[in-house]
Amino acid sequence: MTITEAVEEGMFQSENPINELNRMLVRYDLTPNQAKVYLFLSKIGIKTASEISKALKIPRTETYHLLSTLQQKGIIFSVFGKPTKFNAVGIEESLEILVNNEKNRVSELDAGKESLVKLWNIIPKYGEDENEDQNNKFQSLQGRNSILVKLEQMIKESKENILVLGTEADFKRFYFTEFTELLNKTKSDLKILTDHSPDMPHIFESVSSKKVKKIEDKNREDFCFIIKDDSEVIFFISNNQVKDMLAVWTDSKAFVTTLRSLFSLMWKKSHHIDETDAESLLGSEITYEHRLREIEQEKIILNYLQENFQILDKDGDIKK
Amino acid sequence: MSDKKGKQREEMQSLKILIIDDNEQITKMLTTFLELKEHKCTIANDGKEGLGLIKENEHDVVLLDLAMPEFDGYAVIKDLEENNLLRERKIIVFTASTITQEELDSLVQRGITSYILKPIDIDKLLSKIVETANS
Repeated sequence: MTITEAVEEGMFQSENPINELNRMLVRYDLTPNQAKVYLFLSKIGIKTASEISKALKIPRTETYHLLSTLQQKGIIFSVFGKPTKFNAVGIEESLEILVNNEKNRVSELDAGKESLVKLWNIIPKYGEDENEDQNNKFQSLQGRNSILVKLEQMIKESKENILVLGTEADFKRFYFTEFTELLNKTKSDLKILTDHSPDMPHIFESVSSKKVKKIEDKNREDFCFIIKDDSEVIFFISNNQVKDMLAVWTDSKAFVTTLRSLFSLMWKKSHHIDETDAESLLGSEITYEHRLREIEQEKIILNYLQENFQILDKDGDIKK
Repeated sequence: MSDKKGKQREEMQSLKILIIDDNEQITKMLTTFLELKEHKCTIANDGKEGLGLIKENEHDVVLLDLAMPEFDGYAVIKDLEENNLLRERKIIVFTASTITQEELDSLVQRGITSYILKPIDIDKLLSKIVETANS
């Protein structure tokens, strides 16, 4: 296919399969027209700015600007001559360059954080927010990424405890992310309540089984939340599709306390994930024997006190 | 004769005793009993609170229950061990749990001073507390 045929067939115009490629390139921080020019040069080969402008129907001034930006990004290069001609770097190398550019940009942003905060603090705050210190903030988190960022921040900042409640299906969205790794590394007291089928590998398998309990089917509810240090919670509202994921973060004391109580209640009723039914039953027998010994000890002290001092009433309280 | 007097003196000595146990009946009655014997008691009904009090180091002896909800006696022992405090304090494990002799020996080896299994005769309990405090 010649350049004229390709252009005539509209290969570089919209509503063409090549447009899919164009859209994909846009994800690598190219504008639609930059992607179009890059693709054109990649597939057609060395061309002048004027030829590119005509073929892609992009105004000449804009074409020069696009070529200059693509050169700065390092994915096209110019060939000396009169007029100057342009050609594209191979797709694999270009993608590598674009990815590295993004990585460098993120590193620069990260490095600049500290100085930005310093500068920020230099400027005094003129308005006083009366409600700022009250723990009643609510934040809506939409989409997997924004939820993940908040979750990771909560786990990293936690100093006392992290309580996780939800099914494996709820958390499989975070497979292959830092989420489970951070849970595994946390020094806070971690408790996870989840469902688990022995036939399936479970998402929390790297976490010590002592920290994971199985939600009993009879206690199973369709909700999912994570509490940090009894002071913050992320509560999932919709967890079906990655892009539709919706959660609410809050530090509302009433909200956190309610969910904390619910978690404690369910934790008490559940048993550890690697515990068999027999072990679970044995556990309750041990508790029964344990309680009997405690009652026996109470009786011994009570009898002694009644015999020797006669100062206690029937309930074991000191007589006034 | 002098040995007997010495022993009596030891028993008369007022001890500061910390009781960490989630069973409020036991802590309440034990405190009454020990206070009538001229000892001073502090109560913690959970492991976390108890651990804080152990670290303050104001007690001659600590009675530590093992089975407690949330932060249990094992967690207290582990924390003290990690902070090199287990051998610095006089800890008596005071438990009704089903525990093997091997496990008890292991706890002693790790650094607890002694152990008492519930139920125990009240006089024996007192002797053990005094003996541990003076050890």
